This record gives sequence, structure tokens and C-alpha cells, in this order.
Amino acid sequence: MDPKPLVTLANVTKSFGPVQVIKGVSVSVYPGKVQVLLGENGAGKSTLIKMLAGVHQPDSGEIIMDGQAVSLPNTRTAEQHGIATIHQELNLVGTMSIAENVMLGRTPRKFGMVDRKELRRKAREALALIGLTIDVDTLVNELGIAQQQLVEIAKALSIHAKILILDEPTAALTRHETEHLFKVVEDLRNHGVGMLFISHHLDEIAEIGDSVTVLRDGEFVAEVPGSTPEDELVKLMVGRAIDEQFPRQKNSQPKASLILEVSKLGSKDKFKDISFTVKAGEIVGIAGLVGAGRTEVLRAIAGADKYDHGSVRIRNKPLQRGSVEAAIKAGIGHVPEDRKVQGLVLDASVNDNLGYATLQETSRFGLADFSGQKSRAESVAKTLRIRMHDIEQPIRSLSGGNQQKAVFGRWILAQSTLLLLDEPTRGVDVGAKVEIYELMNAITAAGGAIVMVSSELPEVLGMSDRILVMRDGEIAGELDAREATQDKVMTLAARDTDEDL
Amino acid sequence: MKISLRQIAAVTATAAILLTGTTACNRNTAASGTDKVVLALSTLNNPFFVEVRDGAQAAAKEAGINLEVVDAQNDSATQANQLATAATGSAKVVIVNPVDSDASGTSVKALNAASIPVIGVDRTVNGADLASFVASDNVAGGKQAAVELAKSMNEKGSIIILQGVSGTSASRDRGAGFEEGLKAYPGITVAAKQTAGFDRATALDVTTNLLQANPNVTGVFAENDEMALGAIQALGTKAGTSVKVVGFDGTTDGLAAIKDGKLVATIAQQPAKLGQLAIQLAAKIIKGESVEATVPVEVVSVTKANVADYLK
Amino acid sequence: MSTATIDASRRRFDVKRFLANNGALVGLLILCLGLFIATPDFLTGPNLLNIGIQVSTVAVLAFGMTFVIVAGGIDLSVGSVAALSAMVSSWLYVGSGVSGWIALIAGLVTGLLVGVVNGLVSAYGKLPSFIATLAMLSVARGLTLVISDGRPIKTAPEVSFLGGNLGPIPMPIIVLVASAIIASFLLNRTVLGRSMYAVGGNAEAARLSGLPVKRIVVIVFGLAGLFAALAGLLLAGRLDSAQPQAAAGYELDAIAAVVIGGASLAGGLGRISGTFVGALVLVVIRNGLNLLNVTSFWQQVVIGVVIALAVGIDVLRRKTRNA
Repeated sequence: MDPKPLVTLANVTKSFGPVQVIKGVSVSVYPGKVQVLLGENGAGKSTLIKMLAGVHQPDSGEIIMDGQAVSLPNTRTAEQHGIATIHQELNLVGTMSIAENVMLGRTPRKFGMVDRKELRRKAREALALIGLTIDVDTLVNELGIAQQQLVEIAKALSIHAKILILDEPTAALTRHETEHLFKVVEDLRNHGVGMLFISHHLDEIAEIGDSVTVLRDGEFVAEVPGSTPEDELVKLMVGRAIDEQFPRQKNSQPKASLILEVSKLGSKDKFKDISFTVKAGEIVGIAGLVGAGRTEVLRAIAGADKYDHGSVRIRNKPLQRGSVEAAIKAGIGHVPEDRKVQGLVLDASVNDNLGYATLQETSRFGLADFSGQKSRAESVAKTLRIRMHDIEQPIRSLSGGNQQKAVFGRWILAQSTLLLLDEPTRGVDVGAKVEIYELMNAITAAGGAIVMVSSELPEVLGMSDRILVMRDGEIAGELDAREATQDKVMTLAARDTDEDL
Repeated sequence: MKISLRQIAAVTATAAILLTGTTACNRNTAASGTDKVVLALSTLNNPFFVEVRDGAQAAAKEAGINLEVVDAQNDSATQANQLATAATGSAKVVIVNPVDSDASGTSVKALNAASIPVIGVDRTVNGADLASFVASDNVAGGKQAAVELAKSMNEKGSIIILQGVSGTSASRDRGAGFEEGLKAYPGITVAAKQTAGFDRATALDVTTNLLQANPNVTGVFAENDEMALGAIQALGTKAGTSVKVVGFDGTTDGLAAIKDGKLVATIAQQPAKLGQLAIQLAAKIIKGESVEATVPVEVVSVTKANVADYLK
Repeated sequence: MSTATIDASRRRFDVKRFLANNGALVGLLILCLGLFIATPDFLTGPNLLNIGIQVSTVAVLAFGMTFVIVAGGIDLSVGSVAALSAMVSSWLYVGSGVSGWIALIAGLVTGLLVGVVNGLVSAYGKLPSFIATLAMLSVARGLTLVISDGRPIKTAPEVSFLGGNLGPIPMPIIVLVASAIIASFLLNRTVLGRSMYAVGGNAEAARLSGLPVKRIVVIVFGLAGLFAALAGLLLAGRLDSAQPQAAAGYELDAIAAVVIGGASLAGGLGRISGTFVGALVLVVIRNGLNLLNVTSFWQQVVIGVVIALAVGIDVLRRKTRNA
């Protein structure tokens, strides 16, 4: 095997304003090898691949190809050097056919007109490289994400890419689709294509990676073989050992005080007949497939949506229907599914974002309590270990995990006693995940209660005391977490379908 | 609570729409008669044209003509639509006061093709046939304004000219007439010439600004009374004393300012007479009588001496 | 990343950052310097007072507009509402002989009510504010013409006083400063103001945090209407007459002032001080070009270029922030 790398980033650095995001990192991509980039959000992975794609230029250090230092001032030059990037957001024109997309910018012409025959032939040739056999006249819109991704890879290969950068290609794929992608990757490996692969799923690394470069805070940490055990990788990534992925002390003692009582809750076309209770100190997980109505139930309790039937009682008092304000007054805190769209005002400061739920109640004569708010926010940020350089910094610039902690922090400021969590660790990296779990423990230990909706079964199993499984808008069953297994949950969640998850 | 708020909103909106709607309807169907005449005005936001309308409505009532007034809100495109509607309707005669003399040509041609006679008011129409054209003589008026201003300034000093909306014939003709008339007075120089769009508020700001650069001016000629009133506002106590202002149009506010001694003179058009004559011409055409191609309406210099005759 | 290095660099004066955050102010200073060199008439006491008076109408309108834009909406009706409010005031005074003070207050209440209708239609009727206020632009102007029958009406002396002087100081400047202070206070210090930023930044996140989003939207449009009414009364006061066609097209000046002042039309960003500078930029350009006796055609060209530059700076700022 050729030991000469296709491309090497040698000791590169990059700063944006005062912040140095890459501090002397070196990575090489070898022909026929999959090099994995691993690191938490904000570790510098995307800046590195943007250097190879010609989007960013290193401040110092070199990009070496064939023993020569090269400069990649723009994406076009990068392409000319045989480097192609498959981004998370795909660069395809949905309203054009596969053939047109594959040949975009290089459309074959005859007498000044599009040579359709040649267009289709070349596109078919490109698809054949990755064993894809779909009609090249199909519109890209009609394809699923996975197939669109493959079309993009075919497009990259048709311009003779030697180096393929795959930025979290599996994030939006099902297990089955991921397997198909990996077969394609295997095939490309045999054809001598070098690949740089980014993924948050640690289990995929062993499956596909030849070598792993670990980054932390913009610094090179280690380069280890792909077969390195997961907990070892996590340790390198986070910088400390994580003893337990799910630090929940399962509590079996029955609790006296009832916090939440949902009875016969129903909402047209969303869910029906939902009844359950949550006691102080308890974490109740709600599992189920996407679309089973979990989020809708949570939103109904939180007052975000109205419901048609049934009632919600908090500490034996009825809760007004469809009023977020009433829910907050009753001690409910809602961490919504999509923090960027529903949780945060991204242009506002960390301070402001922490304070929205308490803005009204801490005010005097309609005037906002600025100094009080700031000191409360600072203390909560410290407790939750929200990593930032200034509480007045826009929350947009924080990593996903720290943003999520800020949404939690808002409810801690509001002294909420019942937290409704919707996918609480989505897009959050390993280190911050555990911190969020510990926070959940602290809340329940202090007498609070939590209802958690999550699509990550290990999380539901690991953190809940009880698990409700929803299917088609109804509760299909309840399991004690100590006895629950993935199989048991999935049987309840998808009695007639065995696809996915 | 929420429902009641929504109801309030709905009721308010409905009330507003009904109010505007019914008022507008009343206005349009006020006159009744058998022969329909459409009066297409450039705008009704200017008192001058409101008086044209009033004169026309009074004359129409007298002549038993069903008069429909449409307002183009100073938009050529709106007027083109209104004239197109008139061309397909039952109008016997269309009286048009074009927003723009050139732009209205096409629309009037369509009316010509539909054999509907067209009478122009105040501004002419280029590139089409008019059965008759009723207008004040703006060029002559401009000259008269120069005479009045010069007289009040003892034929010497420097002045500011406030121009109307550039490109309109009124602005062009009045300006040309004024400068022509000014040639007879070599002692008067033009310090600055700026447009204030025939608008009082704009004239106030523009005059204030010009006075900073030209503090020594002793005269202002404004191409309409609205701008003259804006200039007077800017001049404050200087208006009528150390700085003489002459306007054009003879609007009610303008005449009142003459009475107060703030405005030296205005060149009074007789907008009501414009409207009245246009209707009388239309009545003649309907009866099949012949009409003259151009009907001039005299403009008069109004000063403190004769203002009483014009104040209603 | 180490906190120490960042703190140190933050303390250093960052010219690029200052320019990006205060582009409008820098532009205004350059403009003033240019005019100072070009004409001796620019930097004189009377001319500065004159600019102060002329900026008052646009600035007061634009303060109201700032609330709306910060809260993520737009109000196209402010010019018409200004005219309607002044007209209602004068009409009541002349027509029904109410006292001047009541006429003045009636004008303000008119603006407030029309604004509240805008807000109700936009929040509860779920019309985009662009459409709701576009409709109101037409309705309010139409009502102004109906009431006035297309003729100017003399204002009450109390309204004219707004356009006059208090001792040596022109009243428009006093009203301008007072409304700037009130608007700035509302936006920066009150729960309402902070909520506007949240609603404009992300209405759904604000709602799920328990903020009464719809009520805030109604209040925001009500405030814009109230400020528009004040601007309309100021303008009428300066002319001693409520004009049916007053303030036509001023909504675009107000939006331009807010945008030049650094607000984002996407909502969630904007400052009263920025808006004030934005309004000054527009008025100083017009004043300067008058002083230089440049035709108004070129004024429009120059103002267009300034807006484009201001928005360009806004884009640059976003880039530096998001990098």
C-alpha cells in the first residue's frame, strides 16, 4: 500500500478575530484509507475541513499535496486538486434531474444546445462508479436524503475526486441507509480514494475508520487506530474519563407527593386517552417512534398547544389549558425539541436567554431587574458550567451543549419543579450530555420531577425510573426501567413495523 | 378576552371600510341626470383640483349632466386605467386633467378611437386629439408674477425660486414665464432654484435650508401657493416685511395670507371656472354644437388691493 | 480557548469592531465633515437648530418604527397615520369647537387606536404586518381625505405650539429629545422593551418562555401609531395646518432611518440611538444638498446610495459576528 499521503494539513492554525479555533493541527489523508476526525462540537473539525475545501485559508502551516505546498484560495481550486466535500446540507438543485445535477457546470453541448444523450450517458457512468442504478431523469426532489447523498458522491467522483470529505453523512440516515453508504465507502476504499470522515456516532468509527484524529478545543490530541474502544475515544475527546454514561441512581422507593397528574388527555389527530402520573423525585421517560405523539403530549402539558379532552393537574390543582404563562406559574419548565427554533433567541445574549421566563415576575413597575437578573444568570451559568467568555455574548456563538444548558438554566432561574424535556441531548456532545444527566439527577434529588421524551433508547433506558411507550398517539404500555430492555420497548413502540430505530 | 379583542378588531375594520365606502359612493352618485360625463382628475389632494371638481359639479347640476369624478392620485398608471374604463363605459364626453401630458396620450387615443370626445383641463394632452382645451395661461401668469414680485422689491435684490414637480407643464410654463418676465428687471438676481414638489411641508424645509446658505434674499417666488405658504412659515416674521413672497393659484389659504400681508401676491387661476367651463363645453358637445379648440381662462394678479373680490 | 487572552484583546480598542457597530455614526461624521468643508453655511448655530427641527418628524416616526422592527414586524402605515391623527385633531378643533388641548390629545389617541388596530389584525388576525399595515396605509390616507375633503385645515394653537418655540429653544427639538428618552427607556429598561427583542429574535421561543407575544405585538403597533401621531402633530404644528397629503412616503424614510441605524429587518436588533443617527443622516444629506443647491433628483440618488451602504455595513457586521 502506498504510504504517501494524498494530502496533509501540516501544523495549521486559524483564528477568527481574537479567538484561535485551530492551534497547530496536522492531519493526513491516505489513498484507500478512511481518516476519522473526532471531537466535540467546537473542537475545530468543521474549520479543518473548510480549509481543505478552500473555504478558509490557514493563518500558518501548510497544505501539502504530492510533496508540494499548495494554496486553496477558493472551492474551485480545491475541486481542481481533486478534493470534494459532501456537506450535511446537500448542494443539489431539487427541481432538476439527477443527470443535470451530476453534470451541473459541465453540461455537454452540441451545436450550442444541451446534448441530452451524452448528458445521460455520463451521468449513468458516474452513478455506476458507486453501484447506483436509478433512472437519471428522476428529479432530485423525488429522492430520499440517502439517495441524494449518493448522487452527490457520484457527482464528486465524476470530476475525478481523489479525496472525499464526508461531513456527518450518517446524521440523517436510517440504520439501513447507513449500511448501504458504508458499502459504497468500502468500494471507494478499494478504488484508492482517500476519505476524511466526520461522525458523532462512535460505533461507526470502528466499523469504517482506519485511523482517528482526535481534536479538543482546536488542538490535536492524538491519532489512534480505528479499532480503539469507544470509552477510550470518549476519554480522549472530553479530556477526562466519563465513569458512567448514564449516571442515574434508580430509585425504587415510592414517593409520597404527586406532582403531575394527566388524565384522559386527547387532541384531535395527535393523541388520545393519555393518562399518567409523575411523583416527586421521579424521571418518567416517554419512548416511541417519531410521529407517535410524544412531543405533542409534552407540548399540551406545557401549555404550548391546546388540547380537546381531559385534564392536567399539578400538585392537585387543575392547570389552565393552552397557557404557557399558567404552566410556568405552576412550576413547569419546558425544554423544547429544537432549541434553535423554539428554545433560544440566537442573537440575544446568554444573560437575556436565561432570563426570559423570569423577566415579568422579577420586574418592578414594569422595569426589568437588570442587575439582579445578571447576578442570578451568572450564578446559574456557573452552576451549570456553561462555557462562554462573557454572559453578554450572543448565545449563537456557544456550542450546542452549552446552548442546551442555557435552556435548562432558564427553568432553574424560574425555580421550576417539573421539567418537560423534549430530546434533551440532541446535538449535544458526550461531555455535555453527562453534565445534563447529572443536572437531571440534581433536580429530582431536590424534590423535582422530570418527563423526558427521547428518541435515543439507551438514554431513555439509562435515565428513566419508569418508561411510557407511545404508539399512534396512545400509550401502548408502561415499563419499570429496571426491567426494560430495548427489545421490550421496541415491541411496544412498533408492534406491526420492524423497520428502523 | 381574546375572542372579544378579535371581535373589536373585526368591527373596527368593518366600520372603517363601510365609512369610506359609503362616503365615496355618496360622492360619486351625488349628481343625477341622463348624459354621463367622466371627469378624470390628476389628484384630489390638492385644493386647486378640489375647486375644479366643485366648479364642475355645480355646472353639471345646472346642465342636468350625470358627472362621474375619478381621482388618479397623481399616478399616471391609475389614470390610464380610469380612462380605459371610461372608454368602455357609457360616457358621452370625458374631461381629463392629465397627471402627465405625454403619458396620457395613449389613453386619450383610445377614447378618440371609441369616438368619445375628450376635453382637456389645466394640462394639455400630447399625441392625441382634444375636442377642446380649457386652461389658464401659465406662461402669462408667470410673467405677471415676476412683475408683482419686482414691484414689491423695488426692482432690486436676490430671490429664491421654489419649483414644482419637475416635468409637469404647470411648473415648466410658470417657471419659463417667470424667468422671461424677470429679464425686464436686471437688478434682481436668482440666488437659488430648488424644487419643493408643490408641497407645503417640503417647501418649509427647503426654504429653511436655502436661507442658511442665502441669508440675504429679499424675495421668493413659489410656483404654487402651497409652497409659498411653506416658505412664509420658514420666513416667520420676515415674510411680507423684509422678504416678499409671491405664489401662484389663488387658493383660499393663499388669499388669506395676502389679506394678512404675509403674501405679496398670487396669480389667481380660477379653478372653479376651469371646471365650470369644461362642463359647459361638454354640454355643448353633447348637444352637437361646435366648440373652440382652446378656451383660455384668464389669470389675475391678486394683491392686497383686490383680494377682497376673490375671498369667498 | 483561554479566557484570559480574550479578555485582554477585548479591552484593546478594536477599530474594526467599532466601525462595524457604529457605521451610521461614522458615516454621519464623515458627511458632516464633508459638508463643513464644502460650505461655510453648514456648521452654523442656526443651521444646526434647523437640522434639529427638520429631523424631528422623521426621527419621532422612526422611533415608533424601531419598536416594530425590533419586534420583527414592519409598519408601512406610519406616514398615513401621522396625517390622519393631525387631521382628526384639526377637524375636531375647527369643526366641533373642542378645546385645543383636547384636540391635541384626540390626535394622539387616534394614532394609538389605529396602531392598536394594526396590532390586532397582525397578532390575532394572523395577517403579516407588511400586509396589515399596507392596508392601513391606504385606509388611513383615505380617511384623512374624507375628513378634510382634500383641503388643509388649520391646527389648534396648542398643536401649533408644538411647532413653535419655548423660549429660545424650538419645541420640535424638545419633543424630539423627550421622545428619544422615552423610547430609549421603554426599549432598554422595561420588561416590555426586552420582550420586544425576544419576540423579534424568536417569537416561538419567546412564547414558550411564557412571554405574552400577541399582547406585546399589539402594544408595539399601538406605540408606533402613537409616535406617528406625535410626528404628524409636530409636522402640522410647524405648518399651522393639517395637510391631507402630509407625511406621504415618510414611512420609507422612517424605515430607512431604522435600517441605517443598524437594526435588522429580520427583527431582534436595533437601538433608538442608532435610529436617531439614521434619521440625522437622511436630514443632513437633504440639508447639505439644499445648501449646495443640488437638485432634488440627486438627493434621491444619494439617499439611495447611503441606504445601500448602511445595509452593506450591516451584512459585514453579521459576517464578523458569525465567523
